[in-house]
Amino acid sequence: MKTVRIVALQKDRKRMLEHLQDSSLVHIKQTENAEEGFVRSDKSAQLKQFERNISLTEQALKVLDRVVPEKKGLLASFKGRREIEPEDLGKIASRSVRMIGICTKIKDLEKQQADCAAERIRVKTLIAQLEAWKDLDIPLNTGDTAMTSVLIGSFPKYFDQIGLAEALAAEDKDLVYDFEILFSSSNITCAVIIVPKTQKERADNVLRTLGFTKPLNPTSRTPAEKVRRLIEKDEDLQEKMKKAEEDIASYAKYRDDIRDTQDYFTIRAEKYQVITQLDQTSHVFVLNGYVAEEDCEKLEELCNRVAMCIVEFGEAGDDAPVKLKNNKFAEPAESIVTMYSPPSHEDIDPTPLLAFFFYFFFGMMFSDAGYGLLLIIGTAIGLKVFKPDKNMRNNLKLFQYCGVATVFWGLVFGSIFGDAPAVFYKLATGNEITMQQLLPWPTLDTQKDALTIMILSIGLGLVHILVGMGCKFYVCWKQKQYAKAIFDTGFWMTMLIGFAVLGAGMATGGVLTYIGAGISILSAVGLVLTQGREKKGFFGKLVGGVASLYDVTSYVSDLLSYSRLLALGLTTGVMAQVFNMLSTLMGTNVIGILFMIVIFIVGHAITIALNALGSYVHTMRLQYVEMFSKFYEGGGKAFVPFAVNSKNFKLKNDK
Amino acid sequence: MNGILFAILAAALATVLAGIGSAKGVGGAAETAMGVLSEDSSMFGKMLVLTLLPGTQGLYGFIVGFLIMINCGVLGGEAPTLAQGLCYLAASLAIGIGGMISGFAQGKAAVAGISMCAKDDKNFSKAMVSVTLVEIYALLAFIVSLLMVISIPSINM
Repeated sequence: MKTVRIVALQKDRKRMLEHLQDSSLVHIKQTENAEEGFVRSDKSAQLKQFERNISLTEQALKVLDRVVPEKKGLLASFKGRREIEPEDLGKIASRSVRMIGICTKIKDLEKQQADCAAERIRVKTLIAQLEAWKDLDIPLNTGDTAMTSVLIGSFPKYFDQIGLAEALAAEDKDLVYDFEILFSSSNITCAVIIVPKTQKERADNVLRTLGFTKPLNPTSRTPAEKVRRLIEKDEDLQEKMKKAEEDIASYAKYRDDIRDTQDYFTIRAEKYQVITQLDQTSHVFVLNGYVAEEDCEKLEELCNRVAMCIVEFGEAGDDAPVKLKNNKFAEPAESIVTMYSPPSHEDIDPTPLLAFFFYFFFGMMFSDAGYGLLLIIGTAIGLKVFKPDKNMRNNLKLFQYCGVATVFWGLVFGSIFGDAPAVFYKLATGNEITMQQLLPWPTLDTQKDALTIMILSIGLGLVHILVGMGCKFYVCWKQKQYAKAIFDTGFWMTMLIGFAVLGAGMATGGVLTYIGAGISILSAVGLVLTQGREKKGFFGKLVGGVASLYDVTSYVSDLLSYSRLLALGLTTGVMAQVFNMLSTLMGTNVIGILFMIVIFIVGHAITIALNALGSYVHTMRLQYVEMFSKFYEGGGKAFVPFAVNSKNFKLKNDK
Repeated sequence: MNGILFAILAAALATVLAGIGSAKGVGGAAETAMGVLSEDSSMFGKMLVLTLLPGTQGLYGFIVGFLIMINCGVLGGEAPTLAQGLCYLAASLAIGIGGMISGFAQGKAAVAGISMCAKDDKNFSKAMVSVTLVEIYALLAFIVSLLMVISIPSINM
């Protein structure tokens, strides 16, 4: 990683930034303030505008997705972005204003829909309220006639004809009245009461004590008429909503253009973000950033081609971002490393080691030649057909390499779709045969040789851990921390090797036992002598040294953890075997064959899904927990170049 | 009398107990995951991985059960002696009980992992690795059961 400082004239700023963005070579250094003598320009207003546009397009697309769902294939997420010519960007830019207009319209239409929906609810409530009055043939707000007062309203309890008369009489036996009950239920009674004008006050008093209330929304039309009008209004609203929906749908053809517009504003927002980081004077601007060492020449050449400028490179300090660079074999595993944490400056890039062990262990757990082949073929088709973007391409490649390892281990364990060849052989000839007899090379049976495979697993684990510790040793040595390298890491490495030799010796009963024991004891003595070196006083040093031996438990548990290689490998094999057995249950008649095909396909699909997931997760765990804990610090900053980060299209690289 | 009853009981126990652990673990995790998905359906892949993690115990139990059936005459092999049948029963307890309880524990861890991932999906790999920490105990139980079941037919009793 190198620092880079580009100085150029203000008039070339736009051109320069555009070319830098296309090239994605530079990571822009983020600093709080400009260097002395320079100023920063404030672009927050424009940035806010861009962000508003981006979120507007986002909302419009969501509305479109709701109204006119897009038909998407199951595998569409693999598909790479559309390639466009650089000059098409101009067309997208010129369309963007119109597209933002359309987005605003879509949003307005959606708001209109929401308003209509709210209004419809209000109308429906009104209709429900008028339901009780539907038999009334005069308007609800009917007032007095020449001689009488008309009182329309409801009581909060149930009354029938006699009950209401009794209640009124009980309150005021001299009141003269006539009434009609229009509707009554357990908690409401709607009634019209007519009294002589002279007795209105008395009637009001009586009715008040009975809890009589006037209707909420009195109108000058009869309730039936009002309801009819409301229903008409509801239909209107419904029509309006449908119209809005159709209008929105008519914009669906602009979906891709809106997406392009979104990308366009994203690109511009990023460019303006960079402008705020430029140190400027009235005539020149200075851009500070980082560039990968191998890209220096390319960058200098590019800058000089674009405009008159000065490009200076310098040594990057400890706070520089990290760009992983690996060969084709290891590159797909970079995502696994960055998912944990990008390496810090003290770390070595663990990707190549991780890549090898990741493929290898995944293969051992998935362990079936048939499934491996499916992985290889499936990912190859994906790569060929969809032409995915870099990240997805690397993910597919990761599984392709894992597939190769899976085929290897499948052949070692004699498993091709479980024991399918043996099962079909038996079905065809009637003779029992095992995979071991069928395959011309020596195989390990995961069930019968479980103990052997377990030892093999732990042995591989030991190698994995030793490699991790070797990295630690190397890193410490490079930093000239020799004591840390030899005492803290080296002795434990020899200790583990001693254990391994001792184990081998105990199994074979040879002289190896003594050699292994010797190495282990010497390492232990070394540890006791050195691990307390930070402590004060003889006693402290001794206790520290002896206590450090307790760490052996953590190494043992790390090693045992690798038994999952056996467990998951066995799980794949047995599950496949179970489905093979089930598939042949119905014999060899026509129904039996059909049954067999269905069960075989479904069963193996389940096995693949469950075990691929398990293998992926557990391989990752072995890398992160067992290996990375030995040496990897992480915590670095990832190299994020100033680039065209669009979701929908990518510029064709013509340079 | 041979030990076929005990062998079958062993197969049933291994499958059922470990299955209970996984069912409860996956069930709880799935409930939480659906809550997250109702807010953001694009997390489906990650949620699926975290939800399925406590599902392995049931698988291990099933495999031990299956191997017992293969060994003891239900799906081939010879009927075990009484002593062998009892041995199968004892062997099945490791994955049965170990799988069940680790299933409960892993389910809880998965729920926590899902909540963590819902807040910020950058936490996914950490959540995933943390949830698999529980798995080792189910694995150890499985391997113990497995080694015993495989070697019981060759023990002379």
